[in-house]
Amino acid sequence: MKITILNGNPNAENARFDNYLKSLSDLLESSDHTVTTLKLREMDIKYCIGCFNCWVKTPGECRVADDSRDVCREYINSDLVLFASPIIMGFTSTLLKKAHEKLIPLLLPYLEFVQNESHHVSRYEKYPRIGLLLEKEKDTDDEDLKIITDIYKRNAINFKTSFCFTKLITDSAEEVTNEINSI
Amino acid sequence: MRLIVFNGSPRGKESTTTILLKHIVNGFMATEENTHELVYLSRVKDSEKSIKLFREAEQVLLAFPLYDDAMPAIVKTFIESLEPFCGRTDNPSIGFLVQSGFAEANHSRYVERYLEKLSLRLSCQYLGTVIKGNANRIEEQPGWMTKKIFKSFHELGRTFGKTGEFDKQIMLKLAKPEKLSAFQLWIFRLMLKTPLANLNWNKLLKENNAFEKRLNKPYVDEIIS
Repeated sequence: MKITILNGNPNAENARFDNYLKSLSDLLESSDHTVTTLKLREMDIKYCIGCFNCWVKTPGECRVADDSRDVCREYINSDLVLFASPIIMGFTSTLLKKAHEKLIPLLLPYLEFVQNESHHVSRYEKYPRIGLLLEKEKDTDDEDLKIITDIYKRNAINFKTSFCFTKLITDSAEEVTNEINSI
Repeated sequence: MRLIVFNGSPRGKESTTTILLKHIVNGFMATEENTHELVYLSRVKDSEKSIKLFREAEQVLLAFPLYDDAMPAIVKTFIESLEPFCGRTDNPSIGFLVQSGFAEANHSRYVERYLEKLSLRLSCQYLGTVIKGNANRIEEQPGWMTKKIFKSFHELGRTFGKTGEFDKQIMLKLAKPEKLSAFQLWIFRLMLKTPLANLNWNKLLKENNAFEKRLNKPYVDEIIS
């Protein structure tokens, strides 16, 4: 499988998080997966400003020529994307959120009904499965994890794909690799 | 009562959130002694001011459009800046407004759970989350469609300005439909089969000479089969 890891760790001093992703990436590659890790804090990704130009002026591409185009390219060419982030104030980081909302050009503006709800129509034939890899903050509880997971599950519906799992960086990299190998 | 309004629309002043807030604030200001201040979170450089206003506020309203089933990143930036206030005993009461272009309120219920938990994390009294669907480009919707909606937002602001609480009945009314009924689904599905369905988007595409490119797949050649 081609796997992309979006590393949303904003803090270079949080080496534990980056090291975990490195170990996971190595293990996945040793299981014959191709892994690309995008360290978002080293990329230039502007905020989405809701201009909809990616739908009505330059269909399929953000009008701002920032590194979100690289994220989109990796994303749509993957079989699995892992959204990886420390939890900050109960949710994934701003850094990851910025990259996430710049994926909107990968959909069309038009609406259709999925599971009896309105959602945007696909631009591409297939989208990668998604998973979450999180680091708890001091006061993270099960409810926080459920809230984040449910929001990403909603996102999977929007992107016509399936949500695979939520894992924590306290889960061993072997366990996460096994889970991915079983997909 | 003094209200600090944080407008979390990335589009700033030119946004649906601004229009809805205008009606709430006008209602709120109908009570003579009330005052308010409005801050645009899209002006990220003003973040120090936003933090200061939050620190000194009694009542806060944070409003934003639904982005990817959650808050826009500029709002998350603001929320992260509030981390030092977690557990502070004199944080303001806080309420939220979430609007989206989807017809159903259900899309916004997931972030609503986050917002309630956020209030708890900040030890803020939670006033509730006002949810409004079908709001995209509300300024372009005909008056007969928006008159009652704007009136409800005004009334919500007015009662909030008097009581310090959101009126639950008005919130329920604004959130309708929670989900589409079988009949509504049938109508919408029928509509999707007509040229009317994508009229607005196609009009914009044509205005920008981009209609022929509307289905572009910029990275398609690279897709692994």
